[in-house]
Amino acid sequence: MVKIDVRDLNVWFGDKHVLKNIDVGLKPNAVTAIMGPSGCGKTTFIRAINRLNELIVGSRTTGEIYIADKNIYAKETDVYDLRRRVGMVFQKPNPFPQSIFDNVAFGPRTHGVGSEENLQKIVEGSLREAALWDEVHDRLKDSALDLSGGQQQRLCIARALAVNPDIILMDEPCSALDPAATAKIEALMRKLTEKYTVIIVTHNLQQAARVADFTAFLYLGRLVEYGDTRSVFENPSSKLTENYITGKFG
Amino acid sequence: MSRLIDIGLEQLSKLLFKMGELAENTVSLSLDSYTEGLEVHEKVRIWSETLVALSEEVEEKAIELIARYQPVASDLRAIESYIKIAYDLSRYGRYAWDITFIYKRLNINPNDCMFPSLPIKELNEKVKNIVHISVEVVKKNDLDLAKKISEMESEIDAAYYECLDKLVEQDMDTIKCLVTNLLFIRHLERIADHASYIGEAITYLVTGKRVSLRGRMDKES
Repeated sequence: MVKIDVRDLNVWFGDKHVLKNIDVGLKPNAVTAIMGPSGCGKTTFIRAINRLNELIVGSRTTGEIYIADKNIYAKETDVYDLRRRVGMVFQKPNPFPQSIFDNVAFGPRTHGVGSEENLQKIVEGSLREAALWDEVHDRLKDSALDLSGGQQQRLCIARALAVNPDIILMDEPCSALDPAATAKIEALMRKLTEKYTVIIVTHNLQQAARVADFTAFLYLGRLVEYGDTRSVFENPSSKLTENYITGKFG
Repeated sequence: MSRLIDIGLEQLSKLLFKMGELAENTVSLSLDSYTEGLEVHEKVRIWSETLVALSEEVEEKAIELIARYQPVASDLRAIESYIKIAYDLSRYGRYAWDITFIYKRLNINPNDCMFPSLPIKELNEKVKNIVHISVEVVKKNDLDLAKKISEMESEIDAAYYECLDKLVEQDMDTIKCLVTNLLFIRHLERIADHASYIGEAITYLVTGKRVSLRGRMDKES
């Protein structure tokens, strides 16, 4: 079974052909790690899944990505709804300069949830899912900017969960965090697979090996290898993958 | 520029080569002592204990490399294979030592226990050969040689069963000799098994595929 079916995906920024003929089926309720050297197209790949690339002037995308049997690049796609269903967490935690509560409530309010009672439920549920509730439940009105880096990142995950997505994209979500905060986010990624499909971009190969069920290796815009993480890390089928993960280049 | 892990992997392979040479000498001396009735128990004990110490050194170094470098792919397979091979080489030593203890333990004269019908000398040569080949496989990562181990192990199994069949035909008066020879050939058979394990470890290291190079114990020989 496939959650995100990518077919012959190509992305250009101006003349630069960044992603080349990507075909891959990403599995539901699993963590898939996208790895590869800098500039290989990892971030462009996940930004193609919620059509964020098209916000960049000069970008062009061809091919198809099917989520729940619908091509997200079809004309009739509601891009705002797509981005609600496919949430994104960025490298650097980026909470709004508002309270913890308002950060999480922002998305539901934008999507028309007005009742305070409903908002309370959504905020608590999302913070619990993001494993942050116990640490912040008695200071929801405090500024989100007062939280630690790891807490801010979990808040951003809670903010993404609050609009009831199917898929969470994470672009190097732990690169700015210390080992303890990283461990919490990694444990959270695993837990999120009970309900969501998680795709992470990571430079940290050990992180991919720890958390991912499936791993894809991109090189110069092409998908070199995709498979279950154990096979990719124990016995990669491509010599390029072998050389990259063993640190012989990249 | 070589990677830091390469320094550790090279140290590990050098330790294995050292173990291989010592293990081969230990087995050879022990097997010759059995057929020629030589007293080499103490010497083989020291070599066997050295092999165990080297095996522990390989294990410690391997664990350190895992902890420090989180190896993957061929690096990880090499470390797993090296740990297994070090253990197998230490077992060569242990069986060699046990062989030198058989006459002493049963308090008999070796020359009284040579049943002419038993192909002991041929079995001896085959085992020395398989041990030598297994050490070469480790040195060269040679898959063709690894496959050869499988054929040799089958031959040794066949010779082992032939010896067993001939032993049960012997007169009950020679019970001590039966036990002596039984223990000896059993140790030889186990040495050959460990040669197969070494071939399997090198095959995994080189190809990533887990294969069995051993014949089934319950098969007809």
